[in-house]
Amino acid sequence: MASRAPAATSRLMVGFRKWYYNACGFNKFGLMRDDTINEDTDVKEAIRRLPEQVYNDRMFRLKRALDLSMKQQILPKDQWTKYEEDVHYLEPYLEEVMCERKEKEEWAKK
Amino acid sequence: QQLKERSGVMTGFRGFTHLSVSPLSLSPHCWLLSFKSPLKPVSKLPSGLLVASLENYSPVSKIGVFVKAGSRYETAENLGVTHILRLASNLTTKGASAFRICRGLEAVGASLSVTSSREHMVYSLDCPRDDFEGTMEYLINVTTAPDFKPWELSDLLPRVKIDKAVADQSPQIGVLEKLHEAAYKNALSNSLYCPDHMVGKISVDHLQQFFANNYTSARMALVGLGVSHAAVMKVGEQFFSTHTGAGAPGAVYRGGELRVQSGGGLVHALLACEGAAAGSAEANAFSVLQRLLGVGPHVKRGSNITSKLSQGIAKATAQPFDVSATAFSATYSDSGLFGVYVISQADSAREVINAAMAQVTAVAEGSLTAEDLTRAKTQLMADYLMSLESSEGLLEELGVQVLSSGTYSSPQTVTQSIDAVASSDVVKAAKKFVESKKTMSCYGHLANTPFVDEL
Repeated sequence: MASRAPAATSRLMVGFRKWYYNACGFNKFGLMRDDTINEDTDVKEAIRRLPEQVYNDRMFRLKRALDLSMKQQILPKDQWTKYEEDVHYLEPYLEEVMCERKEKEEWAKK
Repeated sequence: QQLKERSGVMTGFRGFTHLSVSPLSLSPHCWLLSFKSPLKPVSKLPSGLLVASLENYSPVSKIGVFVKAGSRYETAENLGVTHILRLASNLTTKGASAFRICRGLEAVGASLSVTSSREHMVYSLDCPRDDFEGTMEYLINVTTAPDFKPWELSDLLPRVKIDKAVADQSPQIGVLEKLHEAAYKNALSNSLYCPDHMVGKISVDHLQQFFANNYTSARMALVGLGVSHAAVMKVGEQFFSTHTGAGAPGAVYRGGELRVQSGGGLVHALLACEGAAAGSAEANAFSVLQRLLGVGPHVKRGSNITSKLSQGIAKATAQPFDVSATAFSATYSDSGLFGVYVISQADSAREVINAAMAQVTAVAEGSLTAEDLTRAKTQLMADYLMSLESSEGLLEELGVQVLSSGTYSSPQTVTQSIDAVASSDVVKAAKKFVESKKTMSCYGHLANTPFVDEL
C-alpha cells in the first residue's frame, strides 16, 4: 500500500517524503507505516518474532484504527503520527526472515 | 554423568564418496615405518587457549572444544542455563544461520554433538578429513559467537520439558542428581537439568551473561584427533577473546540426605562420602576400591562372583532378583564422591544396605587379599584402556586432562600410577568411607530404608 521511497535521504527528497507520508493518510488513524504492511507469510513470521512490548503496541494501534474506521472518524490533528515519529520497527525482522527464506531456496536448488 | 545432545545429526552416507584413503592403510610394508609418538605436546596460545592434537591417521577427523562451563558454574540466578545452552548449540550464530549449520554439516557428512557435565561443556565435531577446513567455521561460530534469538529460544521450551520428563522416568538419574544436591553446598550441587521453577524463565540476558563469563579462551581447550597440529593451531587462532571471565567458588562438601518417596516396589539408594579430586593418587586408590567392591557383572547374565558387594548381599537376602549393588565413584577437579549404589526390593532395603556397608567395613579393617587387589587393578586398567579405544572416549579423556591440568599423561603413565596403588592405600580409602560424614539419597518405597545416621 505505502510504496517505499528510495533509500538515499537527500535534503531535496525529505520535503517530498513528508508530503507523501501525510498524503497517504494512515497517520490520521494513528498508524505507523509497518502497521499497514500486507500480511503475507514472511510478514506473519516477522510479526511472530517481535518483542512483546512492540507487538502489544502494534495491536493497540490496529485496534484503535479499526474502531475509528468503523465510526467513520479520525483522530484529532495533534494525535496524528508525525513523519519523524514513525519507526520502521518491523523492517529488521522482516529482512531477516526474507534472508532465511532465500537461503533455504538456494539450498533447495542444489 | 553426562548428557548428550545430538544436534544436526547428519552422519549421512553422502560424505563417504569424498573420503581420501588414509595414508597407511594400503601399504603392505606399513609395519616397517617407524611410528613416532603422534601426540604433540600441548600448546598454549596467547589468548589462553590450550591446543592439543593426536594424529591417528584416521579418515575421520574429530575436533572437540572443551569449555569450563559445566553446571557447577551456574549461579543462583541462572540455574538451568547450561541445560538451555546445550540445547541451543545448533541455533543461529553470527556467522551462519541454524539452517545453514545443519545443511552445511549434512552436505559433508559431518556431525556436531554437545555433551555437558558438571564441569565441562564439550562440543565435538566429526568430519571427513578432507572437509576439515570448511566445517570448522561452524564449530567456531557455535562456540564463540552464538546469536541468542528470543524466538528460537522459546522454541526450545518443549525440548527442555522432554529432557526433564525422560530424566524423571529414570530413577538412576534422579538418585544421582539428588546425591549431588545433598552432598554439596554450592557449585557441584547444581543439577544438570533445568529446575522446574526456571523452565521458561531463562532469558537471552542469562544466556549472554553466562556465555560472556564462561566461554573465554582461557577456559577452553581445543583438541583434535586425526588432524595435523598446525591445522588445529590455525583454528585455535580464531578463538581470540581475551577477557578472563568470572571465577567460580570451590565446591564445599556438606554431607546430607535427600529422600524421595515414590511408588514402585524398588528402592534405589546411593550412599557416598567425600572422595578425592581427579588426578590425585587418592583418586586412584578410590577407583581401585571401587573395582574391588564391584561395578556390575563383567559377564552378561553372570552371577558376579568377583564383586564383594554382590556376594555380601546375596548372603543377606534371599531375593535374587532386583537386587544389585555397585560401588560408585565420581571425581571432579576439586572434590569427588565415593560410595555404594544399591537397588533392592522395598522390604529388604535395610538388610541390603547394611550388608553393603558391612562389606566396605570389612575392607577397611584390612580383609583384603593380594589376589583381590591385583584383580581390581587389572580390571581398572583394562576399563581405562578400553575406554580409550573409541575415538569418543579418547577425545574426552584428552580434552578433560588438557583442560584440567594443561598437559596430557599417556596411557602408560596412567596405568603405572594405577599399578602403584598399594593395599594400604585401598584400606585407607575404605576407612575414609566408613568414618567420614556420609551423604545419602534414596528413591522409591522408603518405609524400610534406614536414614543415614542409622548406618
